[in-house]
Amino acid sequence: MIQMFHVTKAYPGDPPVLTDVNLTVDKGEFVFLTGPSGAGKTTLLKLVFCAEQPTRGQILVGGRNVARIRDASVPYLRRNIGVVFQDFKLLPHRTVLDNVSFTLDVLGTPRAESRERVLRMLKLVGLEHKAESLPLKLSGGEQQRVVIARALVNDPTILLADEPTGNLDPALTVEILDLLCEVNVRGTTVVVATHDATLLERYQKRVIRLERGRVVGDTALLKSARRTG
Amino acid sequence: MGAAAKAEVFWRSALQGVRHQPFPHAVAILTLAISLFALGLGRAASGLVDRLLASLGNEVEVTVWLRPDLSRGEVDALAASLRGRGFAVTLVTPKAALERLVRELGPSADALRGVSGDPLPPSLELLAPPALRSVESLRRLAAELSARSEVSAVDWGEEAVERLSALSRALRWGGLFTFAVLLGATVAVVSATLQLAIYARREEVEIQKLVGATDRFVRAPFLIEGLLQGLGGAVLALAGLAIVRRWLEPQVEALFSFLRVPGGTSAIWGGVQTLELLAMGAVLGLVGSFLAVSRALRA
Repeated sequence: MIQMFHVTKAYPGDPPVLTDVNLTVDKGEFVFLTGPSGAGKTTLLKLVFCAEQPTRGQILVGGRNVARIRDASVPYLRRNIGVVFQDFKLLPHRTVLDNVSFTLDVLGTPRAESRERVLRMLKLVGLEHKAESLPLKLSGGEQQRVVIARALVNDPTILLADEPTGNLDPALTVEILDLLCEVNVRGTTVVVATHDATLLERYQKRVIRLERGRVVGDTALLKSARRTG
Repeated sequence: MGAAAKAEVFWRSALQGVRHQPFPHAVAILTLAISLFALGLGRAASGLVDRLLASLGNEVEVTVWLRPDLSRGEVDALAASLRGRGFAVTLVTPKAALERLVRELGPSADALRGVSGDPLPPSLELLAPPALRSVESLRRLAAELSARSEVSAVDWGEEAVERLSALSRALRWGGLFTFAVLLGATVAVVSATLQLAIYARREEVEIQKLVGATDRFVRAPFLIEGLLQGLGGAVLALAGLAIVRRWLEPQVEALFSFLRVPGGTSAIWGGVQTLELLAMGAVLGLVGSFLAVSRALRA
């Protein structure tokens, strides 16, 4: 589903943020991307949804080379990728319903159908009773669930979450991660960037570790090596 | 189905934008209104001068001075040929011309008592048919008659008409220059105010792009806002012009009461001009918003 070949990302005048990254995430996988702050986790996710272009290397998303994608094609790629941000990126003066509808508005989904799908998604994340609330009236965990609903309402094949629990207390963190696991069980490929080691232990999923822009560990490769060794 | 749903989203988003940021939109509408008002005034002034010039053709009498040695038969032949082309022709004989001069001079006419013979040449006084009453037609007629051997001079008040023509040309060029300056300034102000509106909604634009909105999708609501601003400015300008017209029209009509402006001064501003101003407002609003949103999307 996601393949990176010798990907390097550097900004002029600075050392590379990512250096010669190679990785593969299969369809339906759940992957933690971990590492200390500044390791390149966010940049790696940005490369996947074309918020950044690699300096070198190739990136295939759903078989499509996003390193060479035309600007005009980026929106169509993004419609297959849901993104969850640590800072939520919710519009404060729009209701929860409107915030989640945003994704479907872009697709030109008729209002009645859009409302039905949004309410179904809000039910999945346990917020159907908050549809008419404004985001600022919700707790951090609830706001993050709204963001997840927005990312998933158009059934994307990939869900990218950048520190989705960074602002949440431990109970809410588990709640959000459980939700992401549920989404994964339904067939969506999920990549979660986190530096929270307790999550990695608790959920026992594949972990790709980045340090100073390089992949320094991948539990999938380790398991594979153990099997062959 | 998708297009209708998108159109609904665009209009909803545009109206929300206007509601959430009334100040920048009010500034843009006011700027557009002032520019369009100035353009409308210029247009009306130019229209008035054009019509006055055209009406001058109705008033101007062409006097064709004939050579004194022409026989009555030659004079009658020339008069008949002009009548045949639709002109109203009055022959003023040297005797009649002298009598008229004496009448006009009044007590000072005593000076003419010693004059013997026919001191004044015969002349033909012409009134052009309606189709030939424009300034250009009169100029052509004067040139044509001047070239004839029977004619010594032609007088049709060319100097006064030339001055008005020059005024009309100056108004037109000045209007064009003002139009270009106003156009540029208006587009810049509208674009700047919309950039403020876009900046205030940068989060919304960012999220739209993250969830897969195309540039066209992001641009559409802002273009609608620009269109609404343009139409709002045009309506305000039209209201201002209507007030000025009500106040100024009687004075203009009184000032030029000696001339018959075809259709009266009300013919200067009609439905066509109103539609033109609305269209101009819409185009200015659209261009301003297009520039603003294109700049924002490039950033």
